[in-house]
Amino acid sequence: MPPRARQPQRRPARPVTITAVVDPVAALASENLDDNLYLYDTNRAAGSTGFGTPGLRSLVRKGDTLLWNVLPLECETYVSLTGIEIDPQIAEPVRKVYPGTDIAFWTAEVKQDITEPVPYRLSFLLGTVSTPFTPTARPTLAGPAPEGR
Amino acid sequence: MAQQHGIIVLFDVENALRTRSLDGNTYWFDNMKFLGSTGVGTEHLETIVPGTYFLDGSQATEQVLNWLPAALGSIPPTVPRNYLAEQGRAEERRTLDELAALNTEGGVNEADVKRLQEQVGTYAEDPGGRGFTAAKVLDVTGKATSSSDAYNYPAPVITDITGQAVAEKIIYPAQYGSPDMVYDGWYWAATVDTSRPGVYPYTLHVQLHELVKRNGELVWESVDLTCESSLKIITDPKRNGFTGAGLGVLPLPPVPAPAG
Repeated sequence: MPPRARQPQRRPARPVTITAVVDPVAALASENLDDNLYLYDTNRAAGSTGFGTPGLRSLVRKGDTLLWNVLPLECETYVSLTGIEIDPQIAEPVRKVYPGTDIAFWTAEVKQDITEPVPYRLSFLLGTVSTPFTPTARPTLAGPAPEGR
Repeated sequence: MAQQHGIIVLFDVENALRTRSLDGNTYWFDNMKFLGSTGVGTEHLETIVPGTYFLDGSQATEQVLNWLPAALGSIPPTVPRNYLAEQGRAEERRTLDELAALNTEGGVNEADVKRLQEQVGTYAEDPGGRGFTAAKVLDVTGKATSSSDAYNYPAPVITDITGQAVAEKIIYPAQYGSPDMVYDGWYWAATVDTSRPGVYPYTLHVQLHELVKRNGELVWESVDLTCESSLKIITDPKRNGFTGAGLGVLPLPPVPAPAG
């Protein structure tokens, strides 16, 4: 029997996950999130940089699915990602929850290839403080380096 | 209550499995930056451990360390304990309901059946890893999947702690069972002998899990790797995180602040 032609379908793959590690107790005590926020993504092999800083630069391509989530360093203090502000022409993140929980993540598709790095803003709710914390440093989405550079 | 250090290790599991090494694929944290821990958020954490006495000379309890591993790019450990198993079951109940609904309508559409088949997902076998339960394969958003490219990496499992800090009896590590709601019932902890100041490296032995196809079946294959960190034991007194001093009254206002 001849081998069956392979279906040209898109295989499900993992999104590019951007994880915010937050030390909520230190951030609340010092009222400074910048020094207590560590960003990481799963795309280091592709060229992302700035790991462990609030200025993570994630390397992404058009069509990538992005997922933002939070890992608190202290499980007894509330931390959540409440907002992502980014150029809607690049991505429009939406808030979702892990099914059956109230633990949120945000997800978006990269709408176009990125030529100039796109900074964006993350906001977090910490503890019982009702005003969101927004770090001064901005993470960015960046495209692959252009040919010939 | 004893003051406890939490040492959280975040693993880039995808990279670690590809390179079969933890070099450059771990990020370490503790909650003791205010006492002098260095390298927080990097591969080179040095965890500070002060002496077992307070500033006024009074006896403090010995330092307890807890190690908590997590996988980068996975469902975070903040979901309830047993979440993966519960979520697997919930998906099955939903599929059974939809299957029943198909039957009552008489004609069964092949596309619907195919969709339900995908929704059912896959169970993966555990051929003998440690501290790891076979379960339905979920993706990183908590939905069932049968793709070996999309599955959620299970949390890494610590299997041992060795190295200079253990050999020289600076720490006494052991694995404990726990009713902890965050980690899956087991954790590694150690107490520290603070009588000999110095920097002591130690090695964490970790098991990662990779989903592979073997004889047409998906199985979890365990991959054992190691990574290193160190403790810095100093003779400074312990400090209370609230007051900067020893035990005593916390700096709370005597009456609640009036509502603004």
